Amino acid sequence: MKTATITPIAAGLLAATTLAGSAFAQSGPIKIGVVTPLSGTYTPIGQQVRWGLELAAKEINAAGGIAGRQVNLLFEDEEANPSVAVQKAEKLFQVEKVDFLTGTVNSGSTLAVAQLAERNAKLAATTVSFADSITTDKCSPNMFRVNARAEQQSVALAAWLAKEKPKAKVFYLGPDYEMGRSTVAAFKSSAEKGGAQSGGEVFAPLDSKDYTQYFGQIRAARPQVVYTSVAGNDTVRLLTQLQDFGLLSGLTVVGASGTVTSQNITAIGAAAEGFATGVGYSPQIDSPANKKFVAAFREANKTDPDLYGADSYGLLFAYKAAVEKAGSTETDKVREALRGLSWQTPQGTKTIRAGDHQAMQPMYVVRVTKGKFDIIDNVSSENAIGPDTCTRF
Amino acid sequence: MHDRLTQSMRASHLLALLFVLASLALAAMGTATDDTFYLRLGTEALIFAGLALSVDLLLGYSGVLSLGQALYFGIGAYVSALTLMKVPSFWLAMAAAFTASLLAAIIGGLIANRVRGVYFALITFGLAQVLAKVVYNTRELGSSDGMIGIPVIEIAFGPFSVSTGSPVGFFLIVLVVIMALYALTAYLLDTPFGRVLTALKSNERRVPFLGYSAWRARMAAYVLAGVVAGLSGALYPMLRGFVSPELMFFATSGNAVISVVLGGVGTLAGAIYGSVLLVILKSIIGSWTEHHLIVIGLIFMLCVLFLPKGLAGVLRPPVEAWLSRHRRIPGPVPDAPVLPAIAVDTKAAPQ
Repeated sequence: MKTATITPIAAGLLAATTLAGSAFAQSGPIKIGVVTPLSGTYTPIGQQVRWGLELAAKEINAAGGIAGRQVNLLFEDEEANPSVAVQKAEKLFQVEKVDFLTGTVNSGSTLAVAQLAERNAKLAATTVSFADSITTDKCSPNMFRVNARAEQQSVALAAWLAKEKPKAKVFYLGPDYEMGRSTVAAFKSSAEKGGAQSGGEVFAPLDSKDYTQYFGQIRAARPQVVYTSVAGNDTVRLLTQLQDFGLLSGLTVVGASGTVTSQNITAIGAAAEGFATGVGYSPQIDSPANKKFVAAFREANKTDPDLYGADSYGLLFAYKAAVEKAGSTETDKVREALRGLSWQTPQGTKTIRAGDHQAMQPMYVVRVTKGKFDIIDNVSSENAIGPDTCTRF
Repeated sequence: MHDRLTQSMRASHLLALLFVLASLALAAMGTATDDTFYLRLGTEALIFAGLALSVDLLLGYSGVLSLGQALYFGIGAYVSALTLMKVPSFWLAMAAAFTASLLAAIIGGLIANRVRGVYFALITFGLAQVLAKVVYNTRELGSSDGMIGIPVIEIAFGPFSVSTGSPVGFFLIVLVVIMALYALTAYLLDTPFGRVLTALKSNERRVPFLGYSAWRARMAAYVLAGVVAGLSGALYPMLRGFVSPELMFFATSGNAVISVVLGGVGTLAGAIYGSVLLVILKSIIGSWTEHHLIVIGLIFMLCVLFLPKGLAGVLRPPVEAWLSRHRRIPGPVPDAPVLPAIAVDTKAAPQ
């Protein structure tokens, strides 16, 4: 390890004066801790986070590093379990003395790590968790979010829907658990602000085999639009059964960003045609910055980046800009520099809102056409962000 | 002569004493080097040792495998968290966790003790999964995100007070609590009640013929184990400042079973060693490779194959031998061998 060689120097400096100690902290590589799932169900997400960060670190280091210092990434497996995430994050903060931390995927881990960062007076950021609470009622002065949160996704989709199908009657079908119910409630409130009417809502148990029992209700409501937030194999069954019953004709199906993904789109087949959702990133974004990023990512990892890879890639450039602006890696100075920071990412310009540490970014609406997602609309960052409801700082 | 059970329990006590000495040495070293991480990791290992202790009480003494002991650990953790957020009192949180886990263990015990063997394992597994899912979907309990914001508190003992934020202070508090739980369990196992449990493990059908209620003994062991798990769980939010439904998931129960097998089933002290070993292994191997689960799994299998009695199976025989040699020499502890010998004689007399 590189740290082993510089420890004696550090010890010498610390022994000399405390000032020398802080001088040391400003030289040598900048260490960034990454606590992300490298085993278990969320491994594919953790993999994208890792690839995105590694690509960014490689590019930053090749261009001279952050303020002349090389970036060193330290990975730890959090197993998508907050208890493990907190333990690993504490190790990175206390033993490895990382300057910054990122990588948490499930929002429970992100919230727990935010609290830990506060208690260790360090900064952390998430590039994946989209639960609104992280930058609203449970916001933390030490946590930043550079990816789009749930509300930005539903606002973008609702804005497109209001244009495409004004005053549409929407039927809501969600998976029957807390997160399913809250995503439906969030989209419903955005859609109804845009003039949509509700045709009813129904919640099906997770892992339902048969959705046809709800079809009578859907037919009776005569909706123009069906919104769903089921995911994985549930989407496969729901959409194929809707198709088999001939309900898809003349119906627009929209959903959460995790409803139809690259993992289940082939299994859904033709039934996925026309499905639309709101997202913060798509590899098809037609900008030179994104084309360059996609090409580099594909060359390094033999696969396309998804939103997690792109948001993680973008994060390091935000940290670089903030550290260079602050002229230091000290928590308070970097926090000030990150607040209100605007920087370039593959998605375009992102700005971190000072009031709640949520990144504002342009949002996209994508629709499945011939088995692939096409960008069909975009919503400006100001229109998608929603109000700042964080009251802690 | 005194019976083997007393002798092996004494060896366990000596191992536990060695453990306490090692912990105190770690605490001293941690203070000297101004360490935070290793002390707090040690504290977490101790907390999970409490859970392993409760699994060992069931598996090693009454002979039933609980795959859902995290249920009571989680109840203790959530009740303690909720209490601490209202009133930042250590004693109140512990009392609340005690009451809640006691009640839950009585209810759980009434259900689970209707069956035994593999069905018992399945029922305990199912109970824990059901409650974990309920918590996972209850917004008031933070649902899938869990609850953060559990404050750092001051633990008052008369004129003294220790902050849960102090790595060494809280480490020592947790050491005291877990060792108290060990002492209580070990004491109870040395009473006639403990002998009934051992009898249950060897042949449950014969127990009623000896005039004891098998159900009552199993129930008592189950409730005791639930309370031990609940009190250990109550310490978790004080250390980490949050609770999440993952604490009740099978991974937590499963780790406790692995700890007990690694440490040695039916030795109590072994459960504590096993838990510390597992936490350390997970932390070191986890940083070294992302395939840590495979490595841990291999270690577990090798342990089952080649060390079926776990760590304690290796450590305890020399300690036992040393103890029995030591006792023959009259001198430092002249009265020690006499007392258990009498106790055994009186029990043997009615036969």
